[in-house]
Amino acid sequence: MDELRTELVELLPRLRRFARVLARNAHDADDLLQTSIERALAHAGQLRAGAPLAGWMFGILRHAWIDEQRARGRRARLFASPEAAADVADTAQGLPVETIAVQDAVARLPEEQRLAVALVLVEGLSYKEAAHIMEVPIGTLTSRLARAREALQGMLGDDGGA
Amino acid sequence: MTFSEETLSAYADGEVDAATRAALEAALATDPQLAQRVAHQRALRARVRDAFTPVLEEPVPERLLASVRGAAPGQRTGQVVPLRQRPRARWSWPQWGAMAASLIVGVLLGPVLLRLAAPPAPLETSGGRVLASGVLARALSQQLASTQPPGAPVAIGVSFRARSGGYCRTFVLRATQSLAGLACRAGPAWQVEALAQSEAPGAAGGGYARAASALPPAVARTLDELIAGEPLDAAAETAARERGWQP
Repeated sequence: MDELRTELVELLPRLRRFARVLARNAHDADDLLQTSIERALAHAGQLRAGAPLAGWMFGILRHAWIDEQRARGRRARLFASPEAAADVADTAQGLPVETIAVQDAVARLPEEQRLAVALVLVEGLSYKEAAHIMEVPIGTLTSRLARAREALQGMLGDDGGA
Repeated sequence: MTFSEETLSAYADGEVDAATRAALEAALATDPQLAQRVAHQRALRARVRDAFTPVLEEPVPERLLASVRGAAPGQRTGQVVPLRQRPRARWSWPQWGAMAASLIVGVLLGPVLLRLAAPPAPLETSGGRVLASGVLARALSQQLASTQPPGAPVAIGVSFRARSGGYCRTFVLRATQSLAGLACRAGPAWQVEALAQSEAPGAAGGGYARAASALPPAVARTLDELIAGEPLDAAAETAARERGWQP
């Protein structure tokens, strides 16, 4: 258990990055990560020996995020509050406009595409690893990534960097 | 042989089989257009990754370290904790965030943008441009640098003619923290050409003349690039307003 905690601490910056791609603003992302850490510690026995901790944690974060999305959906119906992807600026203090623009474009992708982007483009996982975490066939992941890229290029332009 | 975007996307990720890779690389050697599409895919991957790299540099919040140590209060283990409900902006930052990349290159934006969201919004996007709206548009059209009401939400800095012939004005938005910018008249609208967090937040109480000198460097640079001659004096500014800021 202590070993798990030590590894988790080392992994925190990367987990925060992954959560940020999902949840868009820093506070929500850290909330999501905190929930996931608590779940992970409670279910530490399910981590197979030798399995990469990062992949396991990404899966837990994904499930926590799906739960959160459901809760948000309920709240949105209750309060009719607009859940716009208006959060990027909240965490964008001092960042170049290019960075903000890309984060923002990613934030506007559909959930499934954004998750694929987070795992493959940001975290650099293989298609096999990413598909496993997303619980979809590799072909599905491949087409989600292609569609995500098309959408991003539509939003950001083709110039490969501002 | 043609290749789908899906194949090119997978190729950029290093995820095509050997046969596809060989075919694609043979085609790449002779097809500059295809090479460009692949380059776009690769560049996009780098852009997306780079955009989230700064998160790795941020200090990890203590509460996360505490929850790893198992010291989180109340042991909310396994429970779905609803994320804090946050007030949402009325205007859509994302819409113009992307556009701002091409319009306001090199300017740093702060979180202040969202918090300016007291309706109506001071900024909006239209056709790839960032335009002044609400209180900012009104101030740009009506407010004179020489006679500004105390406590106004917008302070006008200088008004001037751009080399293109049109009128431009610098401003400081004082809603919460200060955001300074430069807008030029474009038909009936004011197009924002530069925007940056002011170095002197909330300092506008000390006199409007300072508004111009306190401009953030990025805005000042834009002013220098655009201005033809000297800023308008009070009489010229009044005359320009009477013409509706049309050249």
